[in-house]
Amino acid sequence: MLPIEANRETMSLIDLPQGTLDLLILRTLSLEPQHGWGISERVQQMSSEVLCIQQGSLYPALHRLERRGLIRARWGTSENNRRARYYELTRAGRKQLETETSLWKQLTVAVNQVLGEA
Amino acid sequence: MLSDLLFRLRAIFRAKTMDAGLDVELQFHLDRQLDKYIQTGLSPEEARRRVRLDFGGANQITEECRDARGIRALQALRQDLRYAFRTLFKNRGFTCVALITLALAIGANTAIFSVVYGALLRPLPYGDPDHLIVLNETHPRIGTISVSYPNFLDWRAQNHVFSGMAVMASVRYNLSGIAQPETISGQAVTSNFLSLIGVHPLFGRDFDPSEDKPGATPAVMLTYPLWQSHFASRKDVIGRSVALDGRASTIIAVLPRDFRTTEAVSVLEPLGVWLTKNSGAVNRGTRGDTAAIGRLATGITLTRARAEMETIAAQLAITYPDENNQFGVALQRVRDLFVGDIRPAILVLFAAVLLVLLIACANVANLFLMRAAGRTREIALRVAIGATGARIVQQLLAESSVVAGLGGILGLGLAFAGMRAVQSLIRVAALSGDGVDLNGAVALFALGVTALSAITFGLAPAMQSLRAGAHSRLKEGSKSSTDGVRQNRWRTMLVVVEFALSVILLTGAGLMLKSVSRLIAVDPGFRTDHLLRLKIGLTPSQYPDDTTMLAFWRRLLDAVRALPGLESAALGTHVPLTNSHGRVDITVEGMELPAPGSFPHPDDHFVSPGYLRTLGIRLLAGRDFTDADSETAPRVALINARLTRNLFPGHDPVGKRFMLGRPELAQKPEWITIVGVADDTRMYGLANSSRLEIYRPLAQATPDQMDLMVRSRINSTALTSSIRAVVASLDSNQPISDTNTMDALVQQSVGSRGVTLILLGAFSALALVLAGIGIYGVISYSVAQRTKEIGIRVALGAGRQDVIRMILLQGARIASAGLIIGMVAAFGLTRYLEKLLFSVSPADVTTFATVGLVLALVGLLATYIPVRRALRVDPITALRYE
Repeated sequence: MLPIEANRETMSLIDLPQGTLDLLILRTLSLEPQHGWGISERVQQMSSEVLCIQQGSLYPALHRLERRGLIRARWGTSENNRRARYYELTRAGRKQLETETSLWKQLTVAVNQVLGEA
Repeated sequence: MLSDLLFRLRAIFRAKTMDAGLDVELQFHLDRQLDKYIQTGLSPEEARRRVRLDFGGANQITEECRDARGIRALQALRQDLRYAFRTLFKNRGFTCVALITLALAIGANTAIFSVVYGALLRPLPYGDPDHLIVLNETHPRIGTISVSYPNFLDWRAQNHVFSGMAVMASVRYNLSGIAQPETISGQAVTSNFLSLIGVHPLFGRDFDPSEDKPGATPAVMLTYPLWQSHFASRKDVIGRSVALDGRASTIIAVLPRDFRTTEAVSVLEPLGVWLTKNSGAVNRGTRGDTAAIGRLATGITLTRARAEMETIAAQLAITYPDENNQFGVALQRVRDLFVGDIRPAILVLFAAVLLVLLIACANVANLFLMRAAGRTREIALRVAIGATGARIVQQLLAESSVVAGLGGILGLGLAFAGMRAVQSLIRVAALSGDGVDLNGAVALFALGVTALSAITFGLAPAMQSLRAGAHSRLKEGSKSSTDGVRQNRWRTMLVVVEFALSVILLTGAGLMLKSVSRLIAVDPGFRTDHLLRLKIGLTPSQYPDDTTMLAFWRRLLDAVRALPGLESAALGTHVPLTNSHGRVDITVEGMELPAPGSFPHPDDHFVSPGYLRTLGIRLLAGRDFTDADSETAPRVALINARLTRNLFPGHDPVGKRFMLGRPELAQKPEWITIVGVADDTRMYGLANSSRLEIYRPLAQATPDQMDLMVRSRINSTALTSSIRAVVASLDSNQPISDTNTMDALVQQSVGSRGVTLILLGAFSALALVLAGIGIYGVISYSVAQRTKEIGIRVALGAGRQDVIRMILLQGARIASAGLIIGMVAAFGLTRYLEKLLFSVSPADVTTFATVGLVLALVGLLATYIPVRRALRVDPITALRYE
């Protein structure tokens, strides 16, 4: 339908493996409390524009994490003086981030090993 | 887990606010994204388009967020429940039948379970009750008997299997100094009793070891109910004194509310006080109303304890042959003592009521299946527009849960109403305290039963519908298909099971009916109608010797006989069916002396003249007592027929002589002449055979406790109060206790059998109705389904008989399959009833045959109505019907 944009987007859009999105959100929030847009911006920045979170999956993920008690939400005021919903890590969330991070590292090391040998 | 649920619930109840919040949040994101694109140099137009592209459908995000918040599942549930209520309300007929069926079954189950819990499961109010053992002595000819106090002392000193042992002696007191004097019962116990069973007084002090010895100061502990009813629950009762048998006793403690002991008691007193009053207890041959209780030492099993105690008893029998020959020891867990002989009846009833529940579930499942068959199109439609299988099962389960839940609530109401009836039927022995009530455990049981039944009758139809839904049935005419056949097979199977279960229940009820009718037909040996019994125990301090006691008894009898409207009145001891007995060894003049433990040991009655006539006991030979048989006249006695057969076979016993006790124990033999023979009575209950009995005239052996027996057509309540007045006019401090009509005692003697019969009868009637409805439902539904087929058959020339035969055969197949399975099962199961049966074999042929006949009739009847409907089928309409 829109060939040009589609091409551009395939460049920056890598499908995130299951569960990775949660990890990225938790990691982002470990730096400081942030609102939804801020999170997606930060991820994009930190991944040198490779990873782009779709809003369609970002918000459901946030709500899911909140339900699981890993993050907590409260209303606050944004940099440009608007009401925004800020998310922050809970204690459980911090713990989850640690385990998930180490799991992820093990995974990537293992996958790299396999790929390297192949 | 919990926080997750709370979050979901909050999400549901605050869904509006949360959605609004989400809108704000998304709008914020949108605006920031827009700003960003504009800053990178895009035109506002282009930026807005890009943002919309990035964003996709805002609705979809909202939807997914709701999902993530976990609202969806709960919302669906709410939807299902609302829908379930609506459809159930629309199908009122169906719902009513299902609800009534379930309510009856769940109600009956809950009521019976409350008895099971009260009698069998409720924890005993003791510390570690499973290690508490009650010990009695046994004798091969007598059975279980009280413990001799010296034997108890030896048991306690010699055993290594009990960490402690206490003795309990039954006592009765006349409590005087109150408005209406009354007789209360109690137990005299050793000072270690309470600590042994792990009970502390509510307040006050425990008994002291010094109170175990004769000469102890009279002291008494009150049970909670007596404290409430007679002392207004006042804390300052400690130190006050009460008049027990006319003697002041100091109140030293009040027992906790849930306190129970092996008998229904109102007070406890120290053993020392009892020993003072019962100086005879130190004789080894005396076996009064005493039992021992022991706590098993750690690591000792009951078997091990029994072995050691038997060794000790055998040794004592050798050491003291005169008193202990053939005496053994019986050990019983306290728990079993409390449950007593009511256990088999309760278990049978519980099993029966569970069967009723199963039948009810089968019936409701059938109803649901029938309804599901009519809903295949609806379900197919739902599947077609995207409902998942799980979703459909969830919806159908919601419906069955609603039905089960409502049924459970109604059932609980029924149980609550029926509890009183059940309670009056099954008298969970007075000693188990309050016994039966609705409590947490019972409510939990009701909940469990409800949930279980919801699953039982809900799952099969749900799975069925799901399978049906899997093939798209939208375009099919839903009347004939292989699924329909399979569904019919399911339902036929359920009805066969219902029938089989009914056979089992009905057989049990039939056997009980036969037992009870045979039991009631037993000749008790006396006339039970219009006969009133009142127990009177004299206070020893007031009537210290035989002369004063005899004078009172005579005055009482004269005064009572002067009352208008009496046929006759008499005094006696150990009257039939009262569970009271006193026995004695006798030696017949000239007989060969047996071993010390093998002397004839008849029940010994003390009676006034006219006792036989008042009770209606037949005099078989010789004469009855008269006033001439006074304290100064020669010693005489009557014996019963059984004793005559045993001791004087083929001879006339009148004129023969015997003495009490054994010759070597008596200082000087006092011969008693037999003057007559009385017929046997069923002293120990209708189901127990008669025993050896002797009767002696009241004037020659005067007891301090007697039963006043009055035969009269006057209403028993009125009679009791006029007799009370007579007694009060003779001695205002003299209470009357245990007033019963003999008819009531007979009823008690039928006891748990009668209760089992009534309840089992009710359950099997319920089962029969349910099974009838079940078979009716299946047949009539299949007739409705086959209307077209029947129409074709009739059009092709089938006659009425062919149609009748076709439908009847279908019903007969179901009924006979159920009958055969049920009979086989009943044959295997009825032996569990054996303990409750009376002179009926568990495999009684007539009962089985009758049950078969009754069920066959029910099957026929249930088929009859659909048959008539089938006969009315008009081929033209039937063929046009599609």
